[in-house]
Amino acid sequence: MKTLITKGTLTATLLMAVSFACTDKFLEVPATGQLSGAQLTTKAGLDGLLMGAYAQLNARGFSQSASSFNWVRGSVSGGEANKGSNSGDFNALTPYETYQLLPSSGEVNAKWNAMYEGIARCNSVLRSLGSAGSDVTAAQKTGLQAEARFLRGHYYFELKRNFNMVPFIDETVDYGTGIEKVANNADIWPKIEADFKFAQDNLPATQSSVGRANKWAAMAYLAKTYLYEKKYTEAKALFDQVIANGVTSNGLKYALLANYSDNFNAAKDNGSESVFAIQAAANAGSSDNANPDLVLNFPYNTGSNGPAGCCGFFAPSFELANSFRVDAKGLPLLDGSYNTGANQLKTDQGIASSAAFTPDAGPVDPRLDWSIGRRGIQYLDWQPHPGLDWIRDQSFAGPYSPKKFVFYKSQDKVLTDGSSWTDGYSAINYNIIRFADVLLMAAECEVEVGSLATATNYVNLVRTRAANPAGFVIQNGKPAANYVISNYATFADKATARAAVQFERKLELSGEGHRFYDLVRWGTAATVLNAFLAYESKLLPTAYSGGKFTAGKDEYQPIPQTQIDYQGKDVLTQNPGY
Amino acid sequence: MRLLIFQTNLIFMKASFYRFLQTAFLGAVLLLWSLHASAQDRRVTGKITGADGAVPGANIVLKGTQTGTSSDASGSFSINVRGSSPVLVISAIGFKTQEVNVGNQSNLDVRLEDEATALSEVVVTGYSTENRRDVTGAVSTVKPAQLKVVPSTNVEQQLQGRVAGVTVITNGQPGTSSQVRVRGFGSFGGNQPLYVVDGVPTQTIAFLAPDDIESTTVLKDAASASIYGARAASGVIVITTRKGQRRAQKLSVSYDGLYGATDPGKSLPILNPQEQADWTWQARKNDIYQGTYPTNDFKGLAGGQYGEGATPVLPDYLLVGSRSGLSASQVDLTAEAAKYNVNPANGAIYNVIPSNKAGTNWYKEITRVAPLMRHNIGFSGGTESSRYYVALGMQQQAGIVLYNDYTRYTLRANTEFDITKKLRFGENFQLAYVKTKGLLGGVGSTLGNSTNNNSSSSSDENEVLSAYRMPPIIPVYNSFGGYAGTAAPGFNNPRNPVADRQARQNDSRFNIFGFGNAYLEYDVIPSLTLRSSLGGTFVSTYYNSYGRVQYENSENNTTYTYNEGAGYALAWTFTNTAHFKQKFGIHDIDALAGIEALNTGLGRNIDGSGQNPFSTDPNYVTISTTTPGATRGVGSGYSLGNKFYSLFGQVRYTFNDKYIITGVVRRDGSSQFAAANRYGVFPAVSAAWRLSSEEFMKNLPWVSDLKVRGGYGTMGNSNFLNATNQFSLYAGGAGQGYDINGTNNSIAAGFYRSQIGNPGAKWETNVTSNIGIDGAFFNNKLEVVLDFWRRDTKDLLYQLALPGVVGVRSGAPFKNLASMRNEGIDILVTNRGNINSDLSYEVTAIAGFLNNKIVAIDPLVPYFYGGGTRLSGNVVRNEPGHDLSSFYGYKVIGLFNSKEEVAAAPQQDGAGPGRFRYADTNGDGKITADDRQYLGSPIPKMTGSITLTLKYKGFDLNTNLYTSLGNKIFNNQRWFTDFYPSFTGAAMGARVKDSWLPTHTNTTVPIFESASNFSTNTQPNSYYVENGSYARMQYLTLGYTFPSTILNKINMNRLRISLSATNLFTITKYTGMDPGVGGSADTNFGIDVGNYPVQRGYNVGLSFGF
Repeated sequence: MKTLITKGTLTATLLMAVSFACTDKFLEVPATGQLSGAQLTTKAGLDGLLMGAYAQLNARGFSQSASSFNWVRGSVSGGEANKGSNSGDFNALTPYETYQLLPSSGEVNAKWNAMYEGIARCNSVLRSLGSAGSDVTAAQKTGLQAEARFLRGHYYFELKRNFNMVPFIDETVDYGTGIEKVANNADIWPKIEADFKFAQDNLPATQSSVGRANKWAAMAYLAKTYLYEKKYTEAKALFDQVIANGVTSNGLKYALLANYSDNFNAAKDNGSESVFAIQAAANAGSSDNANPDLVLNFPYNTGSNGPAGCCGFFAPSFELANSFRVDAKGLPLLDGSYNTGANQLKTDQGIASSAAFTPDAGPVDPRLDWSIGRRGIQYLDWQPHPGLDWIRDQSFAGPYSPKKFVFYKSQDKVLTDGSSWTDGYSAINYNIIRFADVLLMAAECEVEVGSLATATNYVNLVRTRAANPAGFVIQNGKPAANYVISNYATFADKATARAAVQFERKLELSGEGHRFYDLVRWGTAATVLNAFLAYESKLLPTAYSGGKFTAGKDEYQPIPQTQIDYQGKDVLTQNPGY
Repeated sequence: MRLLIFQTNLIFMKASFYRFLQTAFLGAVLLLWSLHASAQDRRVTGKITGADGAVPGANIVLKGTQTGTSSDASGSFSINVRGSSPVLVISAIGFKTQEVNVGNQSNLDVRLEDEATALSEVVVTGYSTENRRDVTGAVSTVKPAQLKVVPSTNVEQQLQGRVAGVTVITNGQPGTSSQVRVRGFGSFGGNQPLYVVDGVPTQTIAFLAPDDIESTTVLKDAASASIYGARAASGVIVITTRKGQRRAQKLSVSYDGLYGATDPGKSLPILNPQEQADWTWQARKNDIYQGTYPTNDFKGLAGGQYGEGATPVLPDYLLVGSRSGLSASQVDLTAEAAKYNVNPANGAIYNVIPSNKAGTNWYKEITRVAPLMRHNIGFSGGTESSRYYVALGMQQQAGIVLYNDYTRYTLRANTEFDITKKLRFGENFQLAYVKTKGLLGGVGSTLGNSTNNNSSSSSDENEVLSAYRMPPIIPVYNSFGGYAGTAAPGFNNPRNPVADRQARQNDSRFNIFGFGNAYLEYDVIPSLTLRSSLGGTFVSTYYNSYGRVQYENSENNTTYTYNEGAGYALAWTFTNTAHFKQKFGIHDIDALAGIEALNTGLGRNIDGSGQNPFSTDPNYVTISTTTPGATRGVGSGYSLGNKFYSLFGQVRYTFNDKYIITGVVRRDGSSQFAAANRYGVFPAVSAAWRLSSEEFMKNLPWVSDLKVRGGYGTMGNSNFLNATNQFSLYAGGAGQGYDINGTNNSIAAGFYRSQIGNPGAKWETNVTSNIGIDGAFFNNKLEVVLDFWRRDTKDLLYQLALPGVVGVRSGAPFKNLASMRNEGIDILVTNRGNINSDLSYEVTAIAGFLNNKIVAIDPLVPYFYGGGTRLSGNVVRNEPGHDLSSFYGYKVIGLFNSKEEVAAAPQQDGAGPGRFRYADTNGDGKITADDRQYLGSPIPKMTGSITLTLKYKGFDLNTNLYTSLGNKIFNNQRWFTDFYPSFTGAAMGARVKDSWLPTHTNTTVPIFESASNFSTNTQPNSYYVENGSYARMQYLTLGYTFPSTILNKINMNRLRISLSATNLFTITKYTGMDPGVGGSADTNFGIDVGNYPVQRGYNVGLSFGF
């Protein structure tokens, strides 16, 4: 028994000794493959955080509908295109074309989340500047701050025009310090102005990297903000400066490119027309850098004769195609008669690819065939569009294919990223603001508070470029269709001018994510879109079944129900009508 | 197959081959203890008998020596003994070991007692071993014979239906892991049980060969499991492998083999080509009826393949170049042969695809009768001071899906020997080589602490689902031997699954596992043993895959890609224990104290990819031969694992064999928590009262043994916790950079906040209570084990979704913000007996009843969703008061039968005749999101089985009927097979033949039309929810054991052959392939998107020993 006690004690002591020898240090395991915030306070670290904020422009990791491109909300809801594909595929997007968005929609939530992710990244830069290392100069700090605020301004601009009332989160609040209690009870236009103003005042005119926002981009965006607020005088003053003196970040004087189509060609990225663009890169390690938001927007089942082969989304509408009809002089039919009778563009709807079809021979604006892929017309450098064979479900999506932001055959696998399931990941930049857009926005200001002559001049600048025969779609050595375009005589009155400027935006900027927001700010959304539905739903009854635009409600997306659930009804107030 | 059996048989019969193996092993494995000869004295003879007569093959050893022999066929033996008071130790499989004083007898007749009763078995709990009689917690055991009869590669699959309270949801793909849950779901994730193999904790048992297993014990409550502390909250499955025995004996060799095949079974019914064409026309008629198609024609249907007439015409050719929907007369095959091209390098694709009017059975095309074989040869032996077991095993199992193969080779070497009288050294070592080819979906994780170990083979658009989406009119091959597919217009986007399978035939994954431990044991005094063990798992992984350029589909991959990667991982555990065991008269004390440090798995891996090598010959393709430049990618990963540091102790006191009380406490520290909350203390107590030992029970002779036991305690859990939860972190990577320089092909590094840390997180705590009865009645003919249990989880860790304004790409911190309750009843009833002297039976019924409820979630957030599918909106909602992973959506109360009915009904978007009519739950006259309701739970309310064994002379018949009752399945396949607009043109299930028509309204299947809206196919609703209850005969085995009289003549002591059928039949109302539907996470499972089905198999088995 004595031995037992002795040995037992000895054992226990040994065990105790071992246990105390093992300190807490054993249980300190650092994180691997990730950084702490303290490691990102150098110049390079802060710039890396800023790059993260730029990267979110295309809403990578969220949804196609969430991107700053806005092809879903801006263009599909704007009546320029329908969702496309067939009725079942990704039909969470269908409510965007029928104005049946529900607060529970995951797509609505994705847009909200993606834009606030961008804001969180901007705020992360701004917060970290406070603990910047000694290698960061005051000037560099200001530069980083200005770029971060430019991007934050952009993300809030997106939230404002999509949701109207949203909480404004700046770098002073974060997780754990009351971020979820910030309400959506104030108009954030002044905050957006302040961000762009700061950027305009503190950014240099040119940058070492072409993708960085510069002073002129900030000024243009601030002017665009004023335009959305209908502060035409303030907007005009800035647009005047931008048009007169603006340069791109790589120092090119703002000017329209010679060829309209070069705006949608990866090989021509960052030209003189690019005011601020989402920089896309192919084969850079992740398809997230290569327009993941546009990956569905190609003709369907093309085989190796056409681009990507999937998925037939973003099909341009009949109504948009008709809009390119011009009169004998080459001017658009501003009275809306393009949707009637023989003015309507001839289509191959219901006609098999093997059956004969002759494309429309009437006069059309040359931008038609850079904006819409249609039967019989050369599709970039691939081949003439074969019609039905490249359409997934004509009775749902109509006869047209998207054409802007589609890569050329000569660029396949060079300026596209083949690492994934499709070649549809491309390096084509999307210009959030391009100079033609600036001219047309300036024209709007001129119509309201300036000179009709200047407005006419701006519109005609855009039309003159479109009229460059070298920029026409060429097929068999001659223009692929009967392209006729000419300039306007000086607008007679404000009403005519307004109509012409607005219509020019439709033609010039179609499929670029602007239309719906334009209609809302012009106050014409309900009229125009219900008329659109009346016309289009006859041709595509399945796609537009139940479609109706309700004024006072459908101008804005609902505040996502998920967010209201997370933050409380007392913090987030739902938009009217939902 | 049969030829192979005989060949193998012959080889093993050859003595020379056997000697070769023996020599090889004795030479190669240095740890084997050699046998010694010993001196001899006087001769004793005798006979060993058991309840059923003579016991052949019993081992008789002179205690304290290495002298031994074994009994012959008639149970007779003779042995030379020496010494003043010689004692013989007699042991035999299935009997209690007995010691007999020889005295001066020269003839001994020994009767051995049966050791078959469950209540007398030894229970291995990892740190210690105890007699079932003394167990106070909820503990179940599985006999290895029961596991072996299931021809699976994976021991966890074999556990299905074996233990009351253990739910196993598995699939038919060999080499994947299963969802194993012990007593419900205590957490939102990380609910996999802890496996402890020979004392070493591990997350996977994929390396184990079933034939090597000696015992399997499931610890189900805190009283039994909390000795394992923080990782034990989801139960512990303790497995020991065969060890050999410490007694003088000759080498014994055992062989177990299994050969068989699995039948893929039949496809779900699909519309044949004519029916599909007819129903496409019907869809147009329905569209016209609904007013969604304006004119009365059949234009633009199915890409024009069936013409435009009033009735569809099946074409002879689906695609010739760019022409489609052709009759034979329109095609000159000779001319087309010249234009035919399926190589994009040679210009535009020109495919020539005929139609298959008889219909291609795609399921049949991607499946096969899948062969299976398993061999295990074991060598065991020992001396008084040593023991060893060495085994070689191999298993080859083909999946029923083409090119899906699994191979495993195992080597096990367990040895133990005395260094001195008081000091022992031992080791248990396993080497396993596991190879899988053409795997569908994921495999589950092998190491770590926050893994879920669920297979993800039921994922969107895998080949099993493709087989039901591919229109039967498309043949597998085109007119010239290439592939056919949906490049022919009108059939939407399914990819040719045969082509996909063939492309993956060289995709492989190899794992090499080294698993085991080495230990020293020191008997300080006879009743106190110190033990030190160092164990772990080392895994080395390599994998590669090839992605071909496709041309036959509507959506093709146009880039050839090659991926490969490799990695290693190491988990280790260092355990030191002191075990005291002493009886003082009627007081029995058993005490254990220990200290343990472990790492759940550290490691690194690297993977790379490249595109378009010059030649796609697999012998040529490496990453180095792919196109150089930006399209080559490389990545790597690095993990330090989670570390634990623990102290634990357990004391059991038994008074007079009647009253037993056990206390256990463990203090765990984990690197997952910040310093302030790093340690948790988890105590448990349990007690038992053996009524049958009381005087007042003695006059109830039919009660053989009766014990009442109860336990209460807490267990910690951190399985679901992210390893770095305490830190706020930033991350970058290729997907977060930005082409700031406008290069079109490169990016500048970008960073974002990847995780918000929570240094305040603390342990999840499971509080369990258990009351149980162990009873044996009528001379052990009837045994009952009954447990009532409850498990409450509090401070449940969960990553509550972040509000969008925070920036949701940050990982949300895990916080202690929810609680969950699981409660249930576990029952085991065994009845055994002899009908006559030749015929005996044993029936075991087990049942586990489970009730799971989420009790609370952070009050800020009322619920969270899961289960993303192609429906808009999630199909699963987790909310307090409901089961985990409950299905949620609109309740279909019928179909609208007329426009009048639509008009009179509550307002519902997209409503129309033949479409779903949803319940207006809140009665506000409008169907909105508020009308959604809970539609069922994937958690079975009861799982159980009945196992029957009949023995007649040498024959034995075994069967097992497994059942899982009360769960629902979300049959997401219906979205693909029942709705025309889901992927218009793809194959349709035969259910649409019963779809609603104005003339056929007595149905639940909605109208077949092109509209896709709220009232048709876009919403999660009860149409997809099916009763998932089923009963399945898991196996039926007939075996024959040759009588020892014959065997002795050929020097064998065991020879058994068996025939079995597995998964013989399944009784279920479920309309999918297999009602066993798991999922990739516990917060959303039970969603069937084309599960890899478990199917019927046939096997023959052979085992022998000598």
